[in-house]
Amino acid sequence: MHISKLSLVNYRNFLNSKLLFSKGINTIIGENASGKSNVFRAIRLLLDNSLSRSAYRLSENDFCRDLTNWRGHWVIISMTFDNISDDEVSQSLFVHSAGIHGSAIVKQASYNLIFRPKQHIRIALSELNRGSGAELESLLSSIKIEDYETVLTGKSNADFNDEAVYREIVGDFENVIFPSRVSKETIGAELPRFINLPEEVSFTFVKALRDVVSDFQNNRTNPLLTLLKQKSGQINETEFTPIANAVNDLNSQIEGLSDVITIKDDIKTTINESVGDTYAPHSLSIKSGLSDEADELFQSLRLFIDESGHGIEGAIHEMSLGGANLIYLTLKLLEFNYLQDHQSIANFLLIEEPEAHIHTHIQKTLFDKISYSNTQIIYSTHSSHISEVCKIKNVNIIGRVVGKCAIFQPSHGLSEPKITYIERYLDAIRSNLLFAKSVILVEGDAEEILIPVLIKKTLGLSLDELGISLVNIRSTGFENIALLFHDDRIRKKCSIITDLDAHFYNITAVVGGVPADEKRKDKARGSEVSGALRKIALDSLCQGNDWLHPYYADHTFEVDFIKVGNQNTLKSVVGDVYTDANKISESNTELSSSDIATSGLRALKMANYKKKGWFAITLSEKIKFSVTVPKYIIDAVIFSHGVVAPCTLEKIIDYRFKAIKEYVLNGREYVATLDSTTQATHISEWQSHLSFIDAGISAFTPKWLNYLSNRADIQTIKVAFINDIPCLANEILEGLK
Amino acid sequence: MLDLNEDLNDEQIDAINEPNSVFLIACPGSGKTRTLTYKIANELLNLNERNKWIIAITYTNAAADEIKERIENLGVDTGKLWIGTIHAFCIEWILKPYAGYHEEVKYGYKIINSHESEELLSELCRNYSYPSINYYDCGYHYTSTGLQISCAANKQANVSYVLRDYHSRLKANFQVDFEQILYFSYQLILQHTSISKVLSQLFTYILVDEYQDTKEIQYTVFGRILNAGMGNVKAFIVGDPNQAIYSSLGGYAIPVEDLRSLTSITIVEKALTRNYRSSSRIIDFFSNYRVFNSPIVAAGDNQHFPSQVYYSQTILLEDLTQTIGNSVKYFSDECGIQQNEICIIAPWWVHLASMTRKLTSLFPEYKFNGPGLTPFSRDVDNFWYKVAKLILTEPSPQLYVRRSRWAKEIIDDLHSANVATDITFRLILRNINTIKSSLVEQDGLTYLNVFFDALFSSIDIDFTLYPALSEHHKAFFESSEKRIIKITAENATYDGSVETFKKVFMPKSGITVSTIHGVKGTEFDTVIAYGLLDGFVPHFNEPSAESANKLIYVLSSRARKHLYLISEKDRIDRYKRQERPPTIVLNAHNFNYN
Repeated sequence: MHISKLSLVNYRNFLNSKLLFSKGINTIIGENASGKSNVFRAIRLLLDNSLSRSAYRLSENDFCRDLTNWRGHWVIISMTFDNISDDEVSQSLFVHSAGIHGSAIVKQASYNLIFRPKQHIRIALSELNRGSGAELESLLSSIKIEDYETVLTGKSNADFNDEAVYREIVGDFENVIFPSRVSKETIGAELPRFINLPEEVSFTFVKALRDVVSDFQNNRTNPLLTLLKQKSGQINETEFTPIANAVNDLNSQIEGLSDVITIKDDIKTTINESVGDTYAPHSLSIKSGLSDEADELFQSLRLFIDESGHGIEGAIHEMSLGGANLIYLTLKLLEFNYLQDHQSIANFLLIEEPEAHIHTHIQKTLFDKISYSNTQIIYSTHSSHISEVCKIKNVNIIGRVVGKCAIFQPSHGLSEPKITYIERYLDAIRSNLLFAKSVILVEGDAEEILIPVLIKKTLGLSLDELGISLVNIRSTGFENIALLFHDDRIRKKCSIITDLDAHFYNITAVVGGVPADEKRKDKARGSEVSGALRKIALDSLCQGNDWLHPYYADHTFEVDFIKVGNQNTLKSVVGDVYTDANKISESNTELSSSDIATSGLRALKMANYKKKGWFAITLSEKIKFSVTVPKYIIDAVIFSHGVVAPCTLEKIIDYRFKAIKEYVLNGREYVATLDSTTQATHISEWQSHLSFIDAGISAFTPKWLNYLSNRADIQTIKVAFINDIPCLANEILEGLK
Repeated sequence: MLDLNEDLNDEQIDAINEPNSVFLIACPGSGKTRTLTYKIANELLNLNERNKWIIAITYTNAAADEIKERIENLGVDTGKLWIGTIHAFCIEWILKPYAGYHEEVKYGYKIINSHESEELLSELCRNYSYPSINYYDCGYHYTSTGLQISCAANKQANVSYVLRDYHSRLKANFQVDFEQILYFSYQLILQHTSISKVLSQLFTYILVDEYQDTKEIQYTVFGRILNAGMGNVKAFIVGDPNQAIYSSLGGYAIPVEDLRSLTSITIVEKALTRNYRSSSRIIDFFSNYRVFNSPIVAAGDNQHFPSQVYYSQTILLEDLTQTIGNSVKYFSDECGIQQNEICIIAPWWVHLASMTRKLTSLFPEYKFNGPGLTPFSRDVDNFWYKVAKLILTEPSPQLYVRRSRWAKEIIDDLHSANVATDITFRLILRNINTIKSSLVEQDGLTYLNVFFDALFSSIDIDFTLYPALSEHHKAFFESSEKRIIKITAENATYDGSVETFKKVFMPKSGITVSTIHGVKGTEFDTVIAYGLLDGFVPHFNEPSAESANKLIYVLSSRARKHLYLISEKDRIDRYKRQERPPTIVLNAHNFNYN
């Protein structure tokens, strides 16, 4: 038996989310504050016997804040179990309370915590006139949290994540239609009061950010004592009797110490002298109180550990934080093992952020090794290192979509071979793809190196700051990874950047032409065909998927880069590529050519000559804010990123505005170095260029200052910026909405 | 371990120690309840699996309470015992968990209380005439073939219309009645085989008391569970086929072969043949009325008692009260029988109320406890009846365990009514005691009303918000007012004070006046029975000799020492327009009467 689904409706940061689990090890991935602890809290409410029953009583703060008004709404925490068997006697109580019964056999069970308005409020809601918002408003405003009740139910067959089901059960707030009754088949039958399901399972929760040392010092939380206590009930009498006898001997020996006897006698004498024999107690003794009870004796047991291998064992508080945590986790695992012996029908182990203090290598080994039978382990993490060792099939990602919390199952609906491929891939590239807010997939090193630089230089922000992860697939095999981004799986934007490899020079074969040229042409023809085929395949893959979009370079990165007018940038690296002066001059000429067949071919030759990756690094160092970013890259970034927050847009404008002002300053300094007689034309060109920009700066400056004083509309100021200074590659800014 | 030898005879021990399922025919006075008690206690001690229960089904809540108390007095933990009526069993183990799978109850259900049910049926009966029918004609039950009506053939058509209206009214109000509880549970068990399978894994034993009054669909419900258990759930079925007096309600004594084929388990037949109650003369008398030929042996202290057994066919109806009063005087004064060891029995309730009142006024030196004197609705399933019971009983060490149980029952009912509360039974008891000392109301009903309000405000629950509670509240007071009007009309001396109310729950003293069905399971030194006339015994709806035999058997086997039977003259059958003759089987019995 294992948990297969957890549905959260209106609970804490989850307006409507579900997590899917498999048997064995499961991971919940999410950044900090994404709500991982709330997921665990929900699971514990249903299964953790150590949680006080009063925890069932939820409060206003347990309602999801995305609800504009919690009043009248229900919180539903629903758990589905699979691998249920009505044949197993041990499970029968569970099946009786929670099993979903068909006509003959039971395979699933459900167990729900429902926090809802009490019956009189529900009846009042159902009696409202349909569509009367005013009546609803006034009824809702009278609802207090005391009007709510918690019910635990089993056997429900409803999909609480389905909004239509929610409306059917709870009501339609918009149209003011509330049900007078709800079928027990839907919300489930209340659990018999004599049944406490948490008692039926074994459940251990290992919390994150623990103060291990104080946990060890507190008798109640000391995991060592818990273990010893579990054992003390079954202690071997024959082994223990001599110890108890020894303790008693020890007690009498202590009592027999001459100093102790002296003190006792002195007390007796003093009393007798001060109150007289008549009123003094008849006898008096000092007794040593070492207990001969096993559980009390065990309280004096302490764990000592040699961490460093120097042969000196230290107490817990002397250990490193990591070491102490490891010991804590180990003891908790052992405690769990002991619990398991108690033959409960299922075992659950929840571990919160094991990476909190434990080194990643130990974590890997730990989770490779933890695989108890009939045990479901769920742990939460924000470490990509841990997520690698587990199977993507068993992963839930908590993320945010348009400011709302959402949970994704990256492998939902994928076939086994596809999952295997993705798992291998993720394992190999150690990708943080699962943690990203949005993703751009690229095919090679040039894009991986240059796109972040292009964005950083033009916008002043890194891709990370924009929440975009750029992933180099190192081939054109996008499909398998792109599959992850889907309505059913990860609902985050993913753009794919790839080359169409269309020809940009004459590729017509010439009989008797230069063999090297002919060979290149031949290859280009092949690339063009496969590029076109790739487009068809990618287009159809992305068709109808709002989360996925392909963007194509017409030719290849270097060619498209020069095609949009970055000749000067390329020229600036010619000297880094070639050493031969003739080659350098030839290249500069070719790069200046307006014919893409000439300039593009040179750009490509340079990249191939230097090796594409190294060339990209060289080029990246020369990229300035004024670089023109090819349109397909702009489109890809904009698709992935989606809507830009006003403050981000402001930062970008601020960055670009400063850069332009600096550009003008540098330009003037440059002009000053020129010789006014020999370079007169050049100077005048520069001056008119700079004064055009200057005019723009003068026009924009008051608008900008005004904007900064009131921060009115970012879009207006953006448009003004682009209109006032209509040069220097504003395309990307223009595209950001 | 329990020491069985000390308290039980070899027959009883044999039945208890039988490792297989047992079908136990127990003659009257043979220690059936004691055997059942020890059997349950023994199985509770043998129970070593967590999450397994022993299920005991009794005929009444009172019997369940008594057995549970007896087991606790043996020092055995009853935590894993579920004991109650078949209705309570169906609600707790089938309807509550599985209602979602039955169309009629999946949207929730309330159990209609008997007052409301009577009102509704009475109202619906008024719509039909030729023949006109009333509430008392509307008895019905379900069998595997559907609804069965028990009234006279000429009224059946009209009753079937009334029941049709009644059921559609219940459905519209999301209510169910007791027969439906059984029927829906039966249907769930039939349609979802997994239910009986799962239940069979939760139970180790199903014990059924008074099996002879069990209905076909009830046999099916627990039979299916036993069947699904494939021998792992054992049965202990106890009863006396000679005492099957509820056949009009569908009860019958199942033959053991039928039970075997229903359950497919090994069932061993056993018998308790020793009657520890009556003299051999009394046993001689009622043995004549056996319809199943099970042996009965006198074995008790009274076996050689020189019993007086009288039968009279000559007493006139107008002299009946005087005769009965004289005989009470005779048995009490001449024979030395304690008042509370005398019982006056008639076939129907209607014969009893006026008899009690007349006896009370003619023989004021004796105390008579008859029907119709309880000033409020005695609906044991009414929530407020249970609260009233706590309020009207005085706290005492002897009653502590019982009152605690009642208070717990009240808390359970509150939870069932969806009241979210964590009050304890101690708090309820304490608050009741506090309020008790502060109230000055003298009128019983006002007292209860004020008390209920005070109690619920002290535990901070507004009961008017919970339909189940407020409906019961309404039913309790409406039916109580009706009763008080009736009582006051017939009895000028009735004062309706709190003290009168309290007497209802005091241990009974004086002479019991009851019906044949009402004395089931009880015993008295002397039994005086009248109305033993054809049409009453047997009931005209069930005019068989067998039915008459069982009734005579039950009433006469209540007696330890003396028996006085009367077939009075001058009772006119209004339909036949002639005097009702004595019960035929009684008339035909050639016995050496005193």
